[in-house]
Amino acid sequence: MAGVLKTSPAGAAAARTEDRRSGRGHGSLVRLVLVRLAASAGVLWGAVTVTFVLLQVMPGSTADVLLARTSVSPEVRERIVAEYGLDDPIPVQYLTYLGRIVRGEFGESYVLRRPVWGEIAAQLPSTLLLVATTLLATIVASVALGVVSANRRAWVRSLFASAESLVVALPPFWLGLLLLTVFSFTLHWFPAIGSSSPAGLVLPTAALAAGPAAVVAGVLREGLLRAADEPFVVTARARGLGETALRLRHVLRHALIPVTTLLGWIAGSLIGGAVIIEIVFSRQGIGRLALSAVANKDMPVVVAVVLVTAIAFVLVTIAVDILIWVIDPRTRDSGR
Amino acid sequence: MGAAPRPGTTASAVMAGAATLMLALTACSSGADDPAPAAQGKAEAAGAVSPRTGGTLRLAVEKEPECLDPHQSPTESARLLTRPLVDSLVYQDPRGGLHPWLAREWTVSGDRRTYTFRLREGVTFTDGAKFDAAAVVANLDHVVAPETKSLLAGSLVAAYDSAKAVDPLTVEVRLKRPDSGFLAALAQPNLGIESPATLKGPASKLCATVVGTGPFKSDGGLTPQKGIDYVRNPAYGWAPEGAPRTGPAPLDRIEVTVVPDNSARLGALTSGQVDVITGLAPSSVGTLKGTPGFALHTTPFPGANYSYWPNTAKGPLSDVNVRKALRAGVNWRQIVKNVYFGVYDGAQGPLSASTPGFDGSLSSAYGYDPAEANRLLDQAGWTQRDAQGYRTKDGRRLTLRHMWSDPSVSTLAVQIQASAKQLGVELVEENLDGGTFVNRLLDGDYELIDTSFSSPGPDVLRVLFGADNIPTPKRGISNNMARYDNPQVEAYFKRALDARDQSEQFGVYAEVQRRVTDDAAVLPIYSPLSTVAAREGVRDVRFNVDGTPDLSGIWLAS
Repeated sequence: MAGVLKTSPAGAAAARTEDRRSGRGHGSLVRLVLVRLAASAGVLWGAVTVTFVLLQVMPGSTADVLLARTSVSPEVRERIVAEYGLDDPIPVQYLTYLGRIVRGEFGESYVLRRPVWGEIAAQLPSTLLLVATTLLATIVASVALGVVSANRRAWVRSLFASAESLVVALPPFWLGLLLLTVFSFTLHWFPAIGSSSPAGLVLPTAALAAGPAAVVAGVLREGLLRAADEPFVVTARARGLGETALRLRHVLRHALIPVTTLLGWIAGSLIGGAVIIEIVFSRQGIGRLALSAVANKDMPVVVAVVLVTAIAFVLVTIAVDILIWVIDPRTRDSGR
Repeated sequence: MGAAPRPGTTASAVMAGAATLMLALTACSSGADDPAPAAQGKAEAAGAVSPRTGGTLRLAVEKEPECLDPHQSPTESARLLTRPLVDSLVYQDPRGGLHPWLAREWTVSGDRRTYTFRLREGVTFTDGAKFDAAAVVANLDHVVAPETKSLLAGSLVAAYDSAKAVDPLTVEVRLKRPDSGFLAALAQPNLGIESPATLKGPASKLCATVVGTGPFKSDGGLTPQKGIDYVRNPAYGWAPEGAPRTGPAPLDRIEVTVVPDNSARLGALTSGQVDVITGLAPSSVGTLKGTPGFALHTTPFPGANYSYWPNTAKGPLSDVNVRKALRAGVNWRQIVKNVYFGVYDGAQGPLSASTPGFDGSLSSAYGYDPAEANRLLDQAGWTQRDAQGYRTKDGRRLTLRHMWSDPSVSTLAVQIQASAKQLGVELVEENLDGGTFVNRLLDGDYELIDTSFSSPGPDVLRVLFGADNIPTPKRGISNNMARYDNPQVEAYFKRALDARDQSEQFGVYAEVQRRVTDDAAVLPIYSPLSTVAAREGVRDVRFNVDGTPDLSGIWLAS
């Protein structure tokens, strides 16, 4: 509360303070990014190591799982074991693998038998496109919903809240199939398959964004209500600031802080977590790649996917920190 | 060919529930939009009309191969998607008959270890290279080379020793031992002839792009999680002997999209976004039958039926009487009818009825006879009953652990479990992760395992009941999950390999089917169906001998 009071002096003085601070703050922003980058190297190493350990702990030897559903001669089996180093002691396998990752060599997928980076590069654009449209849809929908519902009466707000809970509770695959049945199979508005066109993005985006949009809208509304009760709002009103300007420039800004953190988490989890939607809409994507790789103990692909996802999380976290730095001047002090 | 189910189907199974939920809606919508009269698929497929040339067929398939190259890949989807691209030396018709294709004729030496093939002249690969004896040698050598890491093709021609080009159009193949299944193996797409230049390139490239002499070509190749597009090979003029057509394929293009979700695939068909789909769920088959404007084409997959494989080596099921009792005492056919809406036929033997070499005379051994089952269990000493009504012997309950790793079997498994309970047999259903499943399989730590095994001939019996194919930690995964080891049957297998011709081979394998039936070494349940659904206007949908749809003969009437 003290912080809020500190940053809420009204009028031109506040604007001047902010200018001065952001001028000095660039140094602290650079430092923030550098600290984050150093920490993220540790995060990536941890992610790769945990993945390696988990794959080793999973029951069944890699060779046996790889060769299930096949019919191979003993020579081919030996060849596969030798080529992938599956007989090496675990520490040797780990160090070999780590060394290759540091050198940027991800090798070939055991199952797809193609270079891992090529496979990831082939799937990543579809994933990133879907994540981008989903985030955009989430932001637009939740801000619209949040702002529209926040200054309604209590019973209208609770109506919104119940609708949002309902949407959150819908399993995404079921929502996806529902959207497909209505808008593709019946109304023929959007294609069900062949998702490279913009029209093909609409339904998967809607299915993926519905849940996050509902959650974020709820958080945003709570934030708006709480911010609207703050003393600085009274001060701003006293200055004669219009209701719309007040809400957009001051209240929304406060409410955006938790929302930004939430959006960062949603963006990160969508990279590898959209698998069900990818399957329902027959879309290319990292999620499907990861699912089959884990099931087949396809270590090079699993580790690469984990790495890509971890990098995405790291980048998103940095982006969130920067955004919050921009939105909330209070956080700039901590960098000094 | 598949043995131990690979643990990759979790997501699709998760969605099975949703599929059922959406079915009613889908059916209604397609009915409303498509007032066209009902198509009687099978009747109209009989092609009295001459094929219309041209058009693009849009096909949605349920699965894609991890690697397209049929020399490397073991999957049915690789066979389906490479058959339009590669031709084989030998053609096997859907009833099992062998005919000339890229080989005009062949002779077999007296010791049955040398095959001499005379090749067809004037055949070219779609990259412009000439098809000749050197190309055949390069392909066979590629299949068996350890670097290829072939997951199926290499073992299909395990007897292969060497090949040499006698002259540009004559190839001599030496085998290490006689193998009566060699010609049938050559007929499979897994032994399809690819352009030699591509075989020298990196194996990873072959996983995307396959170049053959086939009626279609695909320059872009397979895009993972997307599909593959084909264009007609206009120079094609070497269809197999006995094929319904000789020249280029009727279709201009085929566009294959991978659509893993069952209801999305069905909806894409009924809403006109694709022309043909494969791999219908049994529930969708019923839906589609009642939908006007669409035709359903089915054929049972050849090979082993979907079956419960009893562990004949240890535990209660090492007693043949207990196995026979389970076979007679569970009403398998009725259960199959109930669970799969009458879409699947109950099994009539170890092999599905569409398998070349299937012996239909044994089906009476697979009837339902609970009185006989109870008598057999009494005779086996499981005479006492415990408080829950299960049979016991020496104070131990007759408990059988059925392990599986594919959740889609659970509905069927529960019905079988209930039926076994009436016999006084407790089935414990163990749904395991893939790795644990594999470990237990190798250790023989189970009483029952379920799987089907598709294969276009009776040689599959050797794979399923040969003592060399019992899975062990040392050998790795193999397909004799019944752990069946019978010296007499081993002798039959040797005789089958040595057989002079197909009818002699079929005769020996009929003996094997009889012995396996006498020993109740398998509890067959139903024949899996290869299903194709097409909009009206898609004509001449036929199936290859391995049960995959034959894409190259399809034409579009509209």
